[in-house]
Amino acid sequence: RVSALLALDTSTEWASVAVFDGSAVLAEETWHAQRRHAEDLFPTIERLLTLSRQQIGTVDKVAVATGPGSFTGLRVAIAAAQGLARGSGAALVGISTLDVLAYPHASSKLRTCPLLPAGRGEYYAALYQERNRKWARRSPFIVGSLVDLCRQIGTHTLFVGEIDAEGESTLRDLLGPLALFAPPASRMRRAGYLAELGWNELAERTQAPLGALEPIYVRQPAMGGSFAQPFTPPPADDAALGLPKRTA
Amino acid sequence: MRILAIETSCDETGVAVIEDGRRIRANVIATQLAHQATGGIVPEVAAREHLRAIDPITDTALRDAGITLREVDAVGATVGPGLVGCLLVGANYGRGLALAAGLPFIGVNHLEGHVYANWLLQTEELRPEPELPAVVLVVSGAHSDLVLMEAHRRFRLLGRTIDDAAGEAFDKVARLLGLGFPGGPEIEKAAKDGDPNAFPLPKAWLADRYDFSFSGLKTAVLRLTKSLEEKGTVPVGDVAASFQKAIVEALAEKTARAAAEHGVRSVMLGGGVAANSALRAEITRRIAVPLHVPPPRLCTDNGAMVGAAAFFSLRHRGAEMPAGVRSNLPLA
Ligand SMILES: [Zn+2]
Repeated sequence: RVSALLALDTSTEWASVAVFDGSAVLAEETWHAQRRHAEDLFPTIERLLTLSRQQIGTVDKVAVATGPGSFTGLRVAIAAAQGLARGSGAALVGISTLDVLAYPHASSKLRTCPLLPAGRGEYYAALYQERNRKWARRSPFIVGSLVDLCRQIGTHTLFVGEIDAEGESTLRDLLGPLALFAPPASRMRRAGYLAELGWNELAERTQAPLGALEPIYVRQPAMGGSFAQPFTPPPADDAALGLPKRTA
Repeated sequence: MRILAIETSCDETGVAVIEDGRRIRANVIATQLAHQATGGIVPEVAAREHLRAIDPITDTALRDAGITLREVDAVGATVGPGLVGCLLVGANYGRGLALAAGLPFIGVNHLEGHVYANWLLQTEELRPEPELPAVVLVVSGAHSDLVLMEAHRRFRLLGRTIDDAAGEAFDKVARLLGLGFPGGPEIEKAAKDGDPNAFPLPKAWLADRYDFSFSGLKTAVLRLTKSLEEKGTVPVGDVAASFQKAIVEALAEKTARAAAEHGVRSVMLGGGVAANSALRAEITRRIAVPLHVPPPRLCTDNGAMVGAAAFFSLRHRGAEMPAGVRSNLPLA
């Protein structure tokens, strides 16, 4: 029976989509979407289906990256994936974005630390390592500065993910020879790996309700912003009322 | 033609099934309760709630309508204006669903949705459609827009608020007077026992334009309340009635003037503030054409109005919708 998995990842400024048939990645695209995920996602899906000579009807599995990452970015692919699964009855699975980043480096036998920008100079991270011949995540999902993160690192560690030049030199300063870096092209997140992880996961378990799939937010929402006006007793002045600044 | 329609532009998750643009087969709305604790909408909280609700609500809407996706002909979703993080949830869910089910996807302008709520039928009886051209006033906690509808899919924005939305002004003054949230119904209730001429308040409009401005009025109420407090107790009913009169007069005056200037054949309302009976009475008094107002459940944000707008948008093929979502999406 013809069967295909569609993998969607819009976790950060980088996005990736792949079509997988259980043994091979038939088509894959990874691009710097910045903030255009919503504009780019569906044209990319349709293009990759055409390139891989698949009909949407043959897609009976959908895998989506669930973060951590950009809150808004994560919701783009997760909402799309839920819609696709609702529309066709395809099975849906969520895989952590950090799991996807670390997975291609499993054969290196090195402790691997994927990094993704979390804003405010902080990063999302987790530590992966092979133990008893089993590759797995060995830490919770962490958010913090590189200094915080390096306190937990005492051995040679391979860094992958979205690390800019400044981040790389900070890690070298903090860890010296313990910090190892994959070359830029293999640091990237590619949906082909998400597809493979998703396919394996779906082979092992039954489908949960679509709405149960939630992003890994790690952080609570910031309560600031122009819409947030906490309830206060009758206020004494404009500012306390949340009134906009008056212009003369 | 049956349309599955999705609305997630602000803090209501709505999914509906609409037949031929007018008959409601299902209309499920989940109002987010998370915002009551903060007394205002936190966009990130709203977007998280939408994602949690969208699929279960779609399932419920299809069940309510007693149909499967095979009996749906198109999918519509709001793509703007609204909170981007919220719009993205409904729009991407809708696009995914449409692609996988082999259905066309229609991006809907939220304001057009409020306009087309006036086409939705309450009973099985087929009422005549509102006559065009028409002037439409959309007033809620998020909008204060005066729109000229020349024909289907031919809209012109005549005026809008330059600061707060009318509903926001109601909310803030209600809070100032120690009344509950949302402020619209609370102010209306308090105003019933008050004298609308007790306190003169400034007009909430800009001369020679169809734009509104509610922030000066709000500040005037704040000053008035403070000075009354210093003298003793605040006559809440009188302040509420005076404030309501000022805001209703501004909305009714601009709406009636636009209706006369453009020689329209009907006037329509939309948005939560349309439920205010003083507003309806004041507009009726000032216009010579029929006034259409949807029932309260269809005035506030909902999926049914999106389904109606999607139908007429498909039938009258207007401007192309952008691929993504837009917080400030203009009218067609
Ligand atoms: Zn609205």
